[in-house]
Amino acid sequence: MASSGGKDSSSPIDSNGRVGREHSNPEAISALYEDLFENDNSERPCYLPDSGQEDYSGDGDGVGDGDEDGNSPREIVQKGRGDSVVEEKGELNAANGASPEASATQMNNDSRESGSDVGTLPEDLDARSSTGNEDEIQEKDHEFNFRDRVRAESSSTERLVHLDGEMSSDRGLDGPPSPTSSQGGTSGYMAGSGSSSASTSSVSGVEIGTDQDTEGIGSRKEERGVWVPGKRHSQEDDSHPSWRRHKKHFFILSNAGKPIYSRYGDEHKLAGFSATLQAIMSFVENSGDTIHLVRAGDHQIIFLVRGPLYLVCISSTDEPFQVLKGQLELLHGQLLLILTKAVEKCFLKNSKFDMRPLLGGTDVVFSSLIHAFSWDPATFLSAYSCLPLPYVTRQAACGALQDMTDSGVLFALLMCGTKVISLVGPRKASLHPHDLLLLSNFILSSDSFRTSESFSPVCLPRYNATAFMYAYVQYLNKDTCLILLTGDPNDFFHLKECRAQIEIALRESDVLREVNNSISRGGLRIEDLPDSEDLVPPEGVSSREDRSSGDGASTSAFNSVPGAGGAAGLWHFIYRSTYLDQFVASEFSPPLNTRSAQKRLYRAFQKLHASMHDTEASGPHKMQYRRDENHVLLSWRNSDFELYAAFDPLAEKSSAIFVCNRICQWIRDVECEIFLLGATPFNW
Amino acid sequence: MGGRCNEDCDWTGVQNGPRILLIELLGYHELQAYCGDLTVKRVISDNATRDQSQHIFGKHGVRAKEILQLVEGQMDRKLSVVGLSEGLITFTRIFSPLSPCELMEAERHTHVFHQCEPDLWIVMVVEKSKETEEALREGALRAVLKDAHNLFVLFYGSLRALLQSHPRGDVARSCLHAFFPDYLSDFMTGKKFRIPSISESLTHRGTVQLFSPQRETLLEAQSLQELLKSWSGGGMVRHVMILFHNILLSSTLSPADTTTLFLYATLRMMPSSLSQAPRSRSSSRRENPAAGPAGLLASNLNNALGPSRLRNLFTNLTTSPSSDVVPNPHISDAHDSSVDDQGTRSSVPRPLVHEGWWRDADNFLCTDAWGSETGRSKMLPNVTLRQSEERLNLCVYQFRSLTLVMLVPKSGGSDLIPNLQGQLLEKAAHKIQKLEEKVVKEWPGSNAWHVAGYRYLYNDSNNKVSRFSPASKVATLSLESLAALNRIRQEIDLETGRSERSSSMEDRELELCVRTKQNAWVIVRTRGGLELYTVLEKASNTLLLACDAVEKLSKRYFNGSFSSD
Repeated sequence: MASSGGKDSSSPIDSNGRVGREHSNPEAISALYEDLFENDNSERPCYLPDSGQEDYSGDGDGVGDGDEDGNSPREIVQKGRGDSVVEEKGELNAANGASPEASATQMNNDSRESGSDVGTLPEDLDARSSTGNEDEIQEKDHEFNFRDRVRAESSSTERLVHLDGEMSSDRGLDGPPSPTSSQGGTSGYMAGSGSSSASTSSVSGVEIGTDQDTEGIGSRKEERGVWVPGKRHSQEDDSHPSWRRHKKHFFILSNAGKPIYSRYGDEHKLAGFSATLQAIMSFVENSGDTIHLVRAGDHQIIFLVRGPLYLVCISSTDEPFQVLKGQLELLHGQLLLILTKAVEKCFLKNSKFDMRPLLGGTDVVFSSLIHAFSWDPATFLSAYSCLPLPYVTRQAACGALQDMTDSGVLFALLMCGTKVISLVGPRKASLHPHDLLLLSNFILSSDSFRTSESFSPVCLPRYNATAFMYAYVQYLNKDTCLILLTGDPNDFFHLKECRAQIEIALRESDVLREVNNSISRGGLRIEDLPDSEDLVPPEGVSSREDRSSGDGASTSAFNSVPGAGGAAGLWHFIYRSTYLDQFVASEFSPPLNTRSAQKRLYRAFQKLHASMHDTEASGPHKMQYRRDENHVLLSWRNSDFELYAAFDPLAEKSSAIFVCNRICQWIRDVECEIFLLGATPFNW
Repeated sequence: MGGRCNEDCDWTGVQNGPRILLIELLGYHELQAYCGDLTVKRVISDNATRDQSQHIFGKHGVRAKEILQLVEGQMDRKLSVVGLSEGLITFTRIFSPLSPCELMEAERHTHVFHQCEPDLWIVMVVEKSKETEEALREGALRAVLKDAHNLFVLFYGSLRALLQSHPRGDVARSCLHAFFPDYLSDFMTGKKFRIPSISESLTHRGTVQLFSPQRETLLEAQSLQELLKSWSGGGMVRHVMILFHNILLSSTLSPADTTTLFLYATLRMMPSSLSQAPRSRSSSRRENPAAGPAGLLASNLNNALGPSRLRNLFTNLTTSPSSDVVPNPHISDAHDSSVDDQGTRSSVPRPLVHEGWWRDADNFLCTDAWGSETGRSKMLPNVTLRQSEERLNLCVYQFRSLTLVMLVPKSGGSDLIPNLQGQLLEKAAHKIQKLEEKVVKEWPGSNAWHVAGYRYLYNDSNNKVSRFSPASKVATLSLESLAALNRIRQEIDLETGRSERSSSMEDRELELCVRTKQNAWVIVRTRGGLELYTVLEKASNTLLLACDAVEKLSKRYFNGSFSSD
């Protein structure tokens, strides 16, 4: 939700961002959005941080595909969108007539009446669901659009776009999270979009640029061919042998059997397959039961019923059932984040309701989430990770954010890629790690957020699944993203001011520079594991005192041969703090060079975690040692933390235990740098 | 589950007979309409249980148009289970053509599929009750089905062969009807169907328990085997299996056949499970259990209650009961009309019938379970070996706790058996007696395998041999430890299955030590096909100590098969 004002204010930040661009951290590789406009580099993956992660992500689920490649069609579209945005920006202000303002305000009033704890609960979805009708009406008026006939749904969305120039421009910035168009309530300034909020749910923003931009048209056509961008093998259907061989399928369908999302293949062509899934599920449901799992050989089929939605995963990976089920739940959460639970009402009204238009263009959000399932420990740890920063720096960042939360901002969040720099919220409420994960995935996967400041409705499923909040999103530099969440859809200008103040504060306290330093420095390295416990405290203190040295992760002895892992054959570890809901994972270092090795380890950790927690009858385990042909894994859990460590398969048990103790000691020594401590003055 | 019946039904009562038949035939037609190309199906349910039941569902893709169904209670439920099973198998073949659906887990039920023969499945439906809240290990449930099928093949030959020789499926059906109630009756305690629970986590179905006596004794046993096999120029006795109590001493059969026959012997031939008194073949068994409780042995009343209910259902179906039930005309539709009830009955043996064996004065075991009315005759039951697929006669000699199971070719002529028995009494009885005495001396008692401080299960899947702490000792473990063990075994089962399918079984090795919430240690060592599960409660405090303890156990009792050095 763009505003032309956003562009101005963002430019200094951009230049600032460039400063840090040379950083070696993978995330720094992420493209600058300026490039999007200038170079039209259509090869660029659409969710940039992920491309940075590619090294250790290696999504080999598909048949020889990486998700990264898969997104190229999406990318093209994004680019088109970006272009259009740029060009339209000028017109934007003018076009945004005041007329829609009324409706927007009205909407806000409604939402206030609904009285959620967020403060505003616009029934956007109801409004959205009515979209179809509006579309139909508008359809008649806009048959001139030659593209309309290509495909029904897209045509309707497009029509909308062409209907209101002003709103389309907004939407252009809105990007894939198309439904976000319901930002509607923003303000008079944003009124154009406000008016259309009800009707534009299906607008994916993708189509906007097409009229002005031939490139845009081309890309759009390409997009049409695959229907949804961000997806690989989109031409396949269940009759293709290659489709059947994909390692991990995800499906979302309605309880009437209508396909809503499929990771691979064309949803239209998969209608029959969806119907089969639905038949199985409702067959069991009719007998008063709920199907959870079907296992056949290496394949597992996991079913999840959430209201009128059916989610299915068909996987031949060796991930345990609990993990896959958790992934389906996250997928559902992502859906709610975009649409809120109110979407269920649409199914009550009409069981054959077609939800796909509501999700138009958000495909990339789902595919990047699914991609994260195979590299981001946050997806199974139920915790988030922080960017290592000197304590004082983080304190300064928290301070800058804290000032704003007194003025109506519900949550203020400063993130760098998927890592949290600082998070401030109300005292009583906290942001669930899953909400954080889904929100950051939503923002990171959508290029449009990078291009300018945005104001978009989002729903935090764990916080309140029934209501929208509004997220003001602005990248302060190419990696650092500021997210301000509010319940008030009219808060855009206020948040804009807040952002400006925060930005100044961050700049003054050198936070952004420290962030860049931290990025270039990377996270904890197993090679840096302190030799003995005595050495650590002084190191930690000094690094804390001298933050200009930027040595966040205290390092001392280098007691291991490069390439052979750390002490006692340590390869990797993940430490999760129970109270903080945060985790820290060491950087991958040799011998975990290859993507497959990293992924194998990731899966092993996943399984270990599930095994530690999956014990209904006996309660969670306290410790687990596991040696197989690939690793020695040690997992240790107590009331304060969980530690997962991987060693060389030949590692000695006793020394491995010793090293684990050292890791814990080390983490404790540096925890104020690697974690966002609840003990900060800005407790939430 | 399917087995649910109306509250007011008394399943021991004969009055249920006709009703069941009616439902059965309803099912027959509906199924036929419903299933299209499916040719043979069976659903057998243990109607007597409320919380669990078992469905046997066969699918045979070749020919015949017969669908057989034995059902009581909610017909719809049965149909839906069959339909769902079929649907799941078809559906999962899309992704996993080689191993279609093996498990369906739902909120309230678990369906375990066992593809016992190509295109033939046995499906077990377990209702998750509150009492059995612990998730039952899939492998343990499937082992029940595997055992069932192995025994079935032992007695009747493969289902497929039955279906091929009798395409209408009537023979196969009556065999199944004869077999399953008896088989399932072993899982009945009172009125409840008790499936393997976590308390059996330290046992392994489908294996034999091997007694390793002194070398001398073993040699003696083997020489006895050789002696028996050498008679009449060899070939008179094809295989010999010697058991002491319920533990295997020695066997010349292949591991798979040994396991099945061993299971049968321990189930029905142990002195405790023999019929107490030699009896002439009376009609007591034929009586309807409800009509004549006297037909059940009083001592075994409790145990027999369950089976009798099942039996009631099945006899009423497969044969027109000799009692006062009005024969339903549909019966003859379902069967070959030329086969009269009597014929059907006598042709289908019930090898697993309780107390089907008894010991004669000459120490030979006799049975009437194969349907021979002349119980005292020396007509021998026959069994089919899985490996060679040959049919052999079963001849059992039991001296005190020592049981000799001999397999004799069928073709030997009518005088072969008396001949053999005479020879055995004459030449070998003495040897057997001596062997028994020796073994008794060496036999350290039922707690022989107890190792103080350890609760363990050792399983050699290559030779199908297992060894474990005595049940009385395992019972001292806390429920939580057993549940944790159950979970861990489930994980290992999954991994093993996966690596077997990927055929990367190059001596996989795994060491797994888990400290449970209650501070017990569950330690698993696997190497090749060997597995050692150990539970240590309050034994050692640290990981290192616990691992050392298991290392010691492995070195001392299992030849160090799991030692890391």
